[in-house]
Amino acid sequence: MTIQTDHVLDAKGLACPMPIVKTKKAMKDLESGQVIEVQATDKGSLADIQAWAKSSGHQYLGSTEEGDVLKHYLRKASESEVKEDKDYPHIIKNDELQEKLDAGEKVTVLDVREPAEYSFGHIPGAKSIPLGELENRADELDKESEVYVVCRTGNRSDLASKQLADKGFENVKNVVQGMAEWSGPIEKDQ
Amino acid sequence: MATKVAIIASNGSLFDAYKVFNVATAAAASDAEVGIFFTFEGLNLIHKEGHKQLPIPEGREHFQEGFKKENIPSIPELLEMAKEMGVKIIACQMTMDVMSLDKDAFVDGIEVGGAATFIQYASDANITLTF
Repeated sequence: MTIQTDHVLDAKGLACPMPIVKTKKAMKDLESGQVIEVQATDKGSLADIQAWAKSSGHQYLGSTEEGDVLKHYLRKASESEVKEDKDYPHIIKNDELQEKLDAGEKVTVLDVREPAEYSFGHIPGAKSIPLGELENRADELDKESEVYVVCRTGNRSDLASKQLADKGFENVKNVVQGMAEWSGPIEKDQ
Repeated sequence: MATKVAIIASNGSLFDAYKVFNVATAAAASDAEVGIFFTFEGLNLIHKEGHKQLPIPEGREHFQEGFKKENIPSIPELLEMAKEMGVKIIACQMTMDVMSLDKDAFVDGIEVGGAATFIQYASDANITLTF
C-alpha cells in the first residue's frame, strides 16, 4: 500500500536508541497532525517506536516491512486533540452507526483523518477527505444524504461537522468515540 | 507529569557507559526528565579524556567488532546527545576529592554534588536505576 506522509526520516543502519532519538528530533519540526515515516533497520525499533509513541503522546499508526527496512508511521499529536468538549451538537455513538451499517442503510461515512491513518484501517466504504482538505472538497459529498463524520477521537470530526453544517449540509452527525474505540469491521489498504 | 528517571553510574567500563547512556537518551527522547549521578569509576564516563577511551572488560575485546558492525554510536556521541536533550549530569564531589580531580577535568555542562543532591533529585523519581 502507498502511504501518504509529510516527512520521511531515514534512520536506516542506526542502532538503539538512535531511531528514537532521531524521531524525537524530527517530530519537533512537524506541524500537529502531520505524519512522519521513520525508516529503520533496527529490529528493536518495532517495539520501541510503539512504546515511545505511548510515552510521548504521539499517535502510532502502524508499520510496514520492505526487505530489511521497517517503516513506522506516526502522527504528531496536538494540544487541541486532548480537549474533551465537542461543540457540534449532533452526535452518533460508534455502536449506533455500526447498527445502521449492519442494517445496510445507505449512508455516507466520511473519514477526516490523515490518509496514512485511513490506510491502516477504516470503516469499510468510508470516504477519505482529511480535515485540512474538506474546505475545498466538500462538494464531493451529497448534501442530501446522511453524513457520518469520523476521525480518531471525535475532535477533528467535530470541526469537520461544523464546517459541513456551515456549508449547508443538514444531516451531519459526528461519530463518537471514533476510530480509537471502533469495534466493528475494518478495511485496510492493500 | 513527565516521568522522572534517576540513574546512578558507578562503574567505568565501555559496557557500563552504554548501559547508562542508552537508557538515559532513550528516556530523554521519551520526554522523561533524566538525571545521572556519576560516582567512583562512573566518573570515567564523563571525564574529559577518559570517556573517549573507556576500557572494554578483559576477554570481551571481540565485542569491539560487533559495536562497529551494528553501527552503534560512540560514547562521546551519546553523551553529547544526552546533554543536548537536557539530561542532568551530576558528578560526585566526594569521589572527585578522593581522586583529586576538579570540575575542569570533566566534560562541560555538569553539576557537582554530594549524595544528598542525588537523594533529593531521586526523591520523587518514578524510575531509579543503578549501573
